[in-house]
Amino acid sequence: MTSPARTSITAFPRGHEFSPATFTLTAAEVAAYLDAVGDENDYGDTVPPLAAAALGLEALQGEIALPEGSLHTGQEVEHARTLQVGERLTMRGRVAQRSERQGYVICVIEFEIVADAGLDRTGEAGVAVRARSTIVAPAGVAPADVAPGGGA
Amino acid sequence: MSVEVRPVVREITQERIDAYADASGDHNPIHVDPAFARATPFGGPIAHGMLVLALIGEMMRGRFGDAWSRSGKLKVRFKAPTRPGDTVTASAALAKEAGGVAEYAVQCATQSGEVVIDGRASVTVAG
Repeated sequence: MTSPARTSITAFPRGHEFSPATFTLTAAEVAAYLDAVGDENDYGDTVPPLAAAALGLEALQGEIALPEGSLHTGQEVEHARTLQVGERLTMRGRVAQRSERQGYVICVIEFEIVADAGLDRTGEAGVAVRARSTIVAPAGVAPADVAPGGGA
Repeated sequence: MSVEVRPVVREITQERIDAYADASGDHNPIHVDPAFARATPFGGPIAHGMLVLALIGEMMRGRFGDAWSRSGKLKVRFKAPTRPGDTVTASAALAKEAGGVAEYAVQCATQSGEVVIDGRASVTVAG
């Protein structure tokens, strides 16, 4: 994955597109996820959709810093097809909405996880998971670990 | 087909939160640093929203199998924090079924009855 400088989520304008990040979910990563959440369903060699969304979000964490007091207030996830362990995936994210109210920035991050057609074991290209995360962050509070110039 | 969904009940421990932080890469101190979290308005660590939401995913997968993985949709609000020691019950109530799609009102509630997540889940069950 690329690791651009981190910037406070409050500083991104509406329409900002994050750098695409390519990643692969291994069997070990999926097993660690399932063990952590306690899910004992049999997924075979497929990736639980919420695992893809959660682990895909990690790809954005290299770019986004959250000020103290930020809250994840909403989540939408849409599964478009089953993902296989080991598929090469690309995460594309953008700021779909941004507004300010009473000292807080309300930011909706929209992202999709796309299977790499070239390495897609099922032969199906295209979007596998679509998701929207709503984050509420205090305006005017710089995260402790943002790069110079970042933060609100 | 039967559309009843069996609830999932799970205790959210700090150990589980820490494991989720490692698995997801989200080590925000509000989740994993008790000393830091005590100084916040929450007064202590809280679970990742996506960790608690996973109970709904598990519940729906348990009932619908691969159909959930290839056609499921979730739209939820995180209404309140879940804290270490809380026992969370994820449940679903059929809201409507039409056109081969079953839509459920879903929620996660703690042992005290506080709803920490609510929203909708739908899945294609036919066609």
